[in-house]
Amino acid sequence: MPRPPLRTLSALFARISNLTFGGGDPTMAALERELVARRGWLAPEQYGLAFGLARLTPGTNFLAFCAAAAWLLRGWAGALLAVLAASAPAAVVVVWLTYGYQVLKGNALAMGAIAGLLASAVGMMAAAAWHLVRPHVRRGAWLRALVLAGGSVALLLGVSMSPVAVLALAAAAGFFWRREEET
Amino acid sequence: MNLLLLYLLLLKATVTSFSGLTSLPVVRNDLVLRYRVLTDRELNAAVVVGRTGPGPYGLYIVSVGYFVAGVPGAFCGYLALVTPAFLIVPILRYLGARARRPGVRSAIQAATLAAAGLIVASTVPLARDALTSAAAVAIAIASFILLIATRLDTLWVIAGSAVAGLVAGFLL
Repeated sequence: MPRPPLRTLSALFARISNLTFGGGDPTMAALERELVARRGWLAPEQYGLAFGLARLTPGTNFLAFCAAAAWLLRGWAGALLAVLAASAPAAVVVVWLTYGYQVLKGNALAMGAIAGLLASAVGMMAAAAWHLVRPHVRRGAWLRALVLAGGSVALLLGVSMSPVAVLALAAAAGFFWRREEET
Repeated sequence: MNLLLLYLLLLKATVTSFSGLTSLPVVRNDLVLRYRVLTDRELNAAVVVGRTGPGPYGLYIVSVGYFVAGVPGAFCGYLALVTPAFLIVPILRYLGARARRPGVRSAIQAATLAAAGLIVASTVPLARDALTSAAAVAIAIASFILLIATRLDTLWVIAGSAVAGLVAGFLL
């Protein structure tokens, strides 16, 4: 496998990550095309390992994926540069957009548009929850999904349990109550 | 708010989540309910901002930091966002094989399902704040349907919602 220069590697992560809209999943798909299919820097198995472990790593999966893929190619320096290149420009955009929101929120005309944006955020969050649950809602697994997701809603809203405690409780329950293919 | 405390609170949120918006309940619990340095409306706006630009949805944490403490707060949010990413390297080196064990994988899946439930729970107060008219309810439902049933780019959903809100503001 060729070992890419750090500058080339950083430029690739910066270009793909900061120009792809729609969140981490489409960006990881775009990086697969570049890292595996087009340039052959990573073997498909290495990409799969980085992708899979990124799902198990706390925090933003996509940034963990960048760290893993770049670490496989260029060690710690590659991991650090890839994460910075993949996230810093987009973070600056976020700061500017937030500033714009604060400036415009006093403008009556802009308030209508902002009200529409805030309403769509509710739909987006509901859709995000559905995307997490959907893979588990199938024969033999829907009851487990319902109990774990529904139970979490009940624990947070019903008895005000802290979110971290809810997640820990769910993980412990999941360790013992496995889907059929996990046993 | 003290910047170190802000960083630690945001880090707690990111390090206890396994994807972009799953840190939301912890952020709301700490910054909206406990310390009261952020409002539900600002948190809602941060979610929109995080999804409007390129990059991962977890970037909303940067916007949250900005709302709480300006540019230094945004920097705290950014550090809290990127710090957990490097945990994958030791995991990659030492725990790769163990992570495939059925029990560990099942525990992670269960935590992800719980995270979905927590997102739903966090949506309730945000909806109470944002869905104050029939037009807003219609926009929220349309956004949900478009995001789960089509491959339409999120940016178009966001742009469409802004235009719909603008038009509703004129007409109603």
